[in-house]
Amino acid sequence: MQTRDWDQMDDEAFRLEVRKFFQQQFPEHLRYPPHHLSWAQTKDWYKKLYAQGWAAPAWPKEWGGMGLNGSKMLIFIEEQERHGVARTPDMGIILLGPLLIRFGNEEQKKEILPSTLSGDFIWCQGYSEPNAGSDLAGLKTEAVLDGDEYVINGSKIWTSYAMDATHMFILVRTDKAAKKQEGISFLMLRMDTPGITVRPIKNLLGVEVFAQVFLDNVRTPARWLVGKPNQGWTMAKALLGFERISIGSPKLAQAGLEKLEQVARQQGLMKDPAFVDRYNQLRLDVADLGSTYGRFAEIVKRGGTLGPDVSMLKILATETYQRLTELTLEAAGDAGGLAGKVDFNGMPIDILSPFYMARPSTIYGGSNEIQRNILSKNVLNLPG
Amino acid sequence: MSQEDTNQMLRDAVGGFAARDTSIARVRALRETDPGFDRAVWKKIADAGWTGILVPEKFGGAGLSLPEMAAVLEEFAKTLSPEPLNAVSSLAALTLSGGDNEALQARLLPQIAAGDLIAAVAWQESESGIDPAAIETTAKEAAGGYALSGSKRFAVPFGADAYLVSAKGQGGVIVACVDKSAKGLTVDSELRADGTRVARLKLDNVQVAKADIVASAGAGARALGQAIDQTTILAGAELLGVMSRALEITLDYMRTRVQFDRPIGSFQALQHRAVDLFIQKELSFSVLRDAHIHLAQDADALALWASRVKSRCSEAGMRIGRESIQIHGGIGFTDECDIGLYLKRAMVLSAWLGNGAVHRRRYAALAPALEAA
Ligand SMILES: Cc1cc2nc3c(=O)[nH]c(=O)nc-3n(C[C@H](O)[C@H](O)[C@H](O)COP(=O)(O)OP(=O)(O)OC[C@H]3O[C@@H](n4cnc5c(N)ncnc54)[C@H](O)[C@@H]3O)c2cc1C
Repeated sequence: MQTRDWDQMDDEAFRLEVRKFFQQQFPEHLRYPPHHLSWAQTKDWYKKLYAQGWAAPAWPKEWGGMGLNGSKMLIFIEEQERHGVARTPDMGIILLGPLLIRFGNEEQKKEILPSTLSGDFIWCQGYSEPNAGSDLAGLKTEAVLDGDEYVINGSKIWTSYAMDATHMFILVRTDKAAKKQEGISFLMLRMDTPGITVRPIKNLLGVEVFAQVFLDNVRTPARWLVGKPNQGWTMAKALLGFERISIGSPKLAQAGLEKLEQVARQQGLMKDPAFVDRYNQLRLDVADLGSTYGRFAEIVKRGGTLGPDVSMLKILATETYQRLTELTLEAAGDAGGLAGKVDFNGMPIDILSPFYMARPSTIYGGSNEIQRNILSKNVLNLPG
Repeated sequence: MSQEDTNQMLRDAVGGFAARDTSIARVRALRETDPGFDRAVWKKIADAGWTGILVPEKFGGAGLSLPEMAAVLEEFAKTLSPEPLNAVSSLAALTLSGGDNEALQARLLPQIAAGDLIAAVAWQESESGIDPAAIETTAKEAAGGYALSGSKRFAVPFGADAYLVSAKGQGGVIVACVDKSAKGLTVDSELRADGTRVARLKLDNVQVAKADIVASAGAGARALGQAIDQTTILAGAELLGVMSRALEITLDYMRTRVQFDRPIGSFQALQHRAVDLFIQKELSFSVLRDAHIHLAQDADALALWASRVKSRCSEAGMRIGRESIQIHGGIGFTDECDIGLYLKRAMVLSAWLGNGAVHRRRYAALAPALEAA
């Protein structure tokens, strides 16, 4: 395992090194996957990343991370997306790790972080419930302290990777009398605990990536409560900013633009002025998204905190990408109705998967309606 | 009986079929199967008379016209049934009756009307070509008929008994009826977004007798062009059915789904969105209605109306499908939620016979914008 001082390295040199590693090491057949991949499909790649010491780019070095600063972290993500490096079931690395490092106690860090880094613990995120989606604070799954264990009852839904996960981090209600946001705690549990049932749910592509998880008298040790009781909401919220900037990166849209161009050339559309105008409009949307992303990235690089205006990045990135996949479908003509890899004069191109995958990007991570509510309330200061 | 009464009667009949003979569960079970539809249900559709609506009375049909077929197809589309009613009973039947082989019409049209023959028109070769004359498949005159060679795509349905294949002959485009087991014909399928299949044909010197030529070189392009344009208008009616039902389902969901202690339908952001979708649906209805009115008086404007209808209905259908998913939230991205089935059918119908963009281009060519004075 390499432990290097990345801070000493110049950004461009770092970019090239990361790029080279992805190009040489990432399995070609997994590039730009049509949907999220399972642990079985990505495990070998993850182990390679781990061996390289690159499994947790944002974690500090003392916990086995790369300790990248904001600027290098963004480069890392950009290069990943540029090369079409598939995501692994990485909730433990991306969400839980940083939360534990910030709010967890020493025992929790020692018990959880190394096993999470090595891929022995695979985590899923149990936040949403059937009746608590946009209104997450309305969650009803309940945990009651019984001796040195919490007993959990309720159900979580849309839990990505629940089938692969060995563990779950979960928001539960621990005080029913308090205000909605103030009675929520953050717990961890093992997925093989008695009382847990996982019902996989097929998505629009016909693939099982998320699930409903039922919890029936599930016991988890009280030492697995992170932070203080009833502070789960504040801790979970504290991590949202970075999620929104990474979802706002223009790289996915750039990949979409390339695909659109590929299909349009096949169809002879680059000679049609009306099409070319719409294409250029999207090119500019992607370019200007990049400029907007740059503004927020600079704040991250300086180590600053992101304000509520970062919500605009999520709106721009996801909706631009959706429009790109829609125009690609349209450019494909009659083949826009065909599933799977479609033969374009001998060139196989999957038109529908990106179109489908772009759909939920405006739903998860706080729907775009919710992001607009945040912007109108907290940025435009409109009455409401 | 007035046309309105006839249409209402037809709609009610489809309503009966929807309640009795099909269901979303059946639609789901048939997805990705081979051929992807049910011949027993097809027979019931024929018994109801819908396979013969556009077939002349002398050939065993009802001899009705587009508005009646549109009424049936709009209601039928709401059920998401995979049976290829429009492709067979409009496109194939109209191609046959637009041809110039009366003996063949007398032989095949009664079988289509009776539901005994499922014929698919194979005219398209590339992804965005809707000009029936722009083809490469050739028809060489051979002893007592023609020999066809070339390839075809997007023929609906896969699993047809016979294919009506267009090809370039000496004097123009001909249409030939090719049996599914003809020597030299290979039929593969391509899967569509909604789990139904289209046929991809390879023709390697397929022999067709004169008696099986649907339309000769003088009549082929026109017969096909007319049949395709009429079917395109009817595909607009199908899209209208799909989008209407999708919007109903979504409005119902907005009334019942509660977040922040109130129905999500009470949020103005979603209300305005729903109103915009409603307006798109109404525009689709308007243009279809107007197409019927105008075509009854001026059949020459068929291509123009077909493009107007298909541009609007494709766009509206896709938009209502997409935004319905968004309004449903997470559950909208699941296979078990029906709304996704409507989006997928809208995707298939809007891509079929030329999507919105293809028809906007054709509209512009048929009705050039007035030059500035
Ligand atoms: C692919 C995918 C993966 C996911 N993975 C996970 C996961 O791993 N873990 C997890 O916990 N969750 C996960 N989720 C759940 C996700 O966070 C929720 O779907 C999301 O919060 C929306 O909640 P909902 O689905 O209940 O929709 P609802 O909240 O019911 O929303 C329905 C519609 O109403 C709109 N709406 C709601 N409130 C308002 C308002 N106040 N104003 C205007 N419009 C409003 C929404 O924008 C949406 O259009 C995932 C979801 C998807 C689609």
